[in-house]
Amino acid sequence: MNKQSKGMAKVERYYENYGSRARELSAEGKKVIGYVCSFAPLEMITASGCIPFRLRGDIHEPITKGDTLLETIVCPYYRSCFDLAVKHRYEFLSGMVIPHACDSMVRSFSVWSYSLNLPYFQFVNTPSVVKDSSFEFFNEELKTYKKSLEEFVGKKITDDDLAGAIQLHNENRNKARAVYEFRKPDPPLITGQELAKTLLACSSLPIEESNRLLDEVLEEVGQRKKSPLGKGPRILIDGACIDNAELAGLVEDLGASVVADTICNGSRDYWPKVDEKKPPIEALADRYLDKLNCPKTYRENKTGNFEEDIKARFADIGFTAKEFQVDGAIIYLYRYCDPFGFEVPARKAYYELIHVPLLHLEDLYSAGTIGQLRTRIQAFLEMIG
Amino acid sequence: MAEEQKKRKKRKTATKAAASIGPMVKESITSTIRAREEGKQKIAYTFIVCQHDEILRAMDIVPVWTENYSGICGAKRDAERFLQRAESLGFSRSLCTYALCGLGFDQWREELGEMPPDAPWGGQVRPDFMISSGQILCDPRSKWYQAAQQFMPDVPIYNIDLPYPLFDPKRDHREVWGYYHRYIVKELRGLVSFLEEQTGKKMDYDRLRELVDLGDRTWNLIHETYELRRAVPCPMGTGDAMNTMVPMCFMMGTQEAYDFYLDLNKELKEKIARGEGEVEEEKYRLLWGGGLPAWYALNDFNYFNSKGASFPAETTYRMVVPLYEMDIPETNDPIEHLAWRWLGYWTFWYEKARKRPGSEPDVERLIQYIEDYKIDGVVMHEAFSCRTWHVGLIWQLHQLAKIYKPIPVLVLGKEGKKEKKQRELPSLVLESDIIDITSYSEVDTRNKIDAFIETLESLRRARAA
Repeated sequence: MNKQSKGMAKVERYYENYGSRARELSAEGKKVIGYVCSFAPLEMITASGCIPFRLRGDIHEPITKGDTLLETIVCPYYRSCFDLAVKHRYEFLSGMVIPHACDSMVRSFSVWSYSLNLPYFQFVNTPSVVKDSSFEFFNEELKTYKKSLEEFVGKKITDDDLAGAIQLHNENRNKARAVYEFRKPDPPLITGQELAKTLLACSSLPIEESNRLLDEVLEEVGQRKKSPLGKGPRILIDGACIDNAELAGLVEDLGASVVADTICNGSRDYWPKVDEKKPPIEALADRYLDKLNCPKTYRENKTGNFEEDIKARFADIGFTAKEFQVDGAIIYLYRYCDPFGFEVPARKAYYELIHVPLLHLEDLYSAGTIGQLRTRIQAFLEMIG
Repeated sequence: MAEEQKKRKKRKTATKAAASIGPMVKESITSTIRAREEGKQKIAYTFIVCQHDEILRAMDIVPVWTENYSGICGAKRDAERFLQRAESLGFSRSLCTYALCGLGFDQWREELGEMPPDAPWGGQVRPDFMISSGQILCDPRSKWYQAAQQFMPDVPIYNIDLPYPLFDPKRDHREVWGYYHRYIVKELRGLVSFLEEQTGKKMDYDRLRELVDLGDRTWNLIHETYELRRAVPCPMGTGDAMNTMVPMCFMMGTQEAYDFYLDLNKELKEKIARGEGEVEEEKYRLLWGGGLPAWYALNDFNYFNSKGASFPAETTYRMVVPLYEMDIPETNDPIEHLAWRWLGYWTFWYEKARKRPGSEPDVERLIQYIEDYKIDGVVMHEAFSCRTWHVGLIWQLHQLAKIYKPIPVLVLGKEGKKEKKQRELPSLVLESDIIDITSYSEVDTRNKIDAFIETLESLRRARAA
């Protein structure tokens, strides 16, 4: 492993040896706090002096020990993350933050906390609705979260600490957004696999290192004169957490290009920023409660009309599809995903509305299904030409 | 399917109260159809365990408990056609099957403009509005009605967010419950405003106060009544409790519910006086330790009974704790009280759990029931489509196994003397679903039950020896 590597080579290194940098930092005495979902407010972790680290599962690793502790009706992605954690893949963690995102997370909170027995374990109760009262509540909940981190690290988190962390994370989001720009040419200058690996590698690093890595990637890809891909259908991936580059690789192996996404390890998390002009807690509440567009958050239909409702709820999809000129979309979900699963018919209706052909895939989070996925995707790509 | 329904015998209950539930539920469904025809009262789709029962009753709203209707379809083994319809719309079968059944039914009804053919018990009526709930309890409660708006876009939703602090062994929940309470109060007041807008009527707070008081008394009465099941032999088991949950979950805040438990209380006391148990010769006392039942297979409880096993207690659908044991502030404001009752219920076992390192509230509740009801074994049901009630059960059994070990342990006995006690507690996890009958095998289930009973019997003999 070449530690001097830069840009995409470094991305590859951190992607393949996921967690290697966090392990080194932990050995140096830094505290690494794990999280699995985009609802975990990372700025607070950075402001406390700890390092946020996004856990990944592994589609190539059979779930074994995890299944002796956690039911198999839990989302398979989340089960895989848990399985790796109890098999000590992330032994460098000092703590975990689990937000209220879905039943799989909430109902297994105790199982995680007792099985890993880490010094720090915090639940952040993100409301399910967006209104004045839920903002008031969430502000208080974020203060409780802040207090828990202060107790853990033994120092106060000041407004300046938070403002600094917010600035760093916003920079990160700006840089990630800039990487997406390379997807706009046809064919794109960056492959879907490369972008997925870049963002995943970034989520395993301290925010300053992540920013530097993104700078290197921007510089390297910016110098490309030619796309690594041939011209083919431009595909948007819609869904929840996709923490590997395999799906993008599969689509691109079949002659298409992944040029856009709305996933948690992509634009859902990387695009919305925190308002730096607002008081920090209020600004964080605003981002994590309102700006993150996850089906977990209920948004009221104020029009009494289904078409208007889906236009409002899924506007980000339409905006992205247009901006990146997509030819087709794939909704890729895991079995047992209630928040997304209940939206599939409405999302299908929305894609019809914006005239984007759609393939819906429900998967098990296992390398064993890649053959089936290949057949379905191939047929879809043939259909959209 | 219709033929099979005709052939299926009614499940034998141990109490008259449980036997009276079928007609009661049927009447409650029929009354919603009547209310729709008369058009005098507003009809609301909604969910149980939302602390809004008394509010709905005070506003004369007719609640349609959509989970209940799906349960009825399941119990009548007639859910499959609605599940298939939901699947054909794009919903995965792995999602909550209550919701899928309801969505399949609603879409069909809306498409036809009338009830689907041979709808169980006349069908589920179209609502005037829907009250969903974004709790930290259940995702489908927040998503189901939103999905239903695809076929009923004109039916508005009020989504009540009802959080409670999760258990943290290092932190007293009372440090944070002040802002939880403020939020829940605002959510409930928001509900009242929504209902006032929908009905054109103002809330009568004196009436609400009376109904909340009636609700409180019903909570306490249910607790006292269910505690009678500690008797040996046990006069009423979980099979019956899956019927007697109906007034608790669907009729709270009504005199009818209170009177039902008065009658049940009387009936149980009479049975106890006669020494009459759920089973003729009670050999094993089991705890239904988690999981919603397979509504189409409630006869499995009778199968347990046929082996001499009774279920004196269950955690499922025992949605009350005694108010007088709750550590919550006093208030004259009924809305504030409802919010405290909600928090008091969910945090009821927290204090106990904090005192036992490595424990947690759900485990403490199991331990309490195991001790109070002299339990010999624990049975759970893993319903594949519901994460809300079925995630964490395996872990709870792991925690129990640390206390109820398969080797004799020293415990503090009478007069403070240490005694050697055999506390092994076998467990059984059944697997299927709440209403998806395709996930169920009667042969496999009963084989599992037989093996479990053999384990209980060998333990019983070992202890006797």
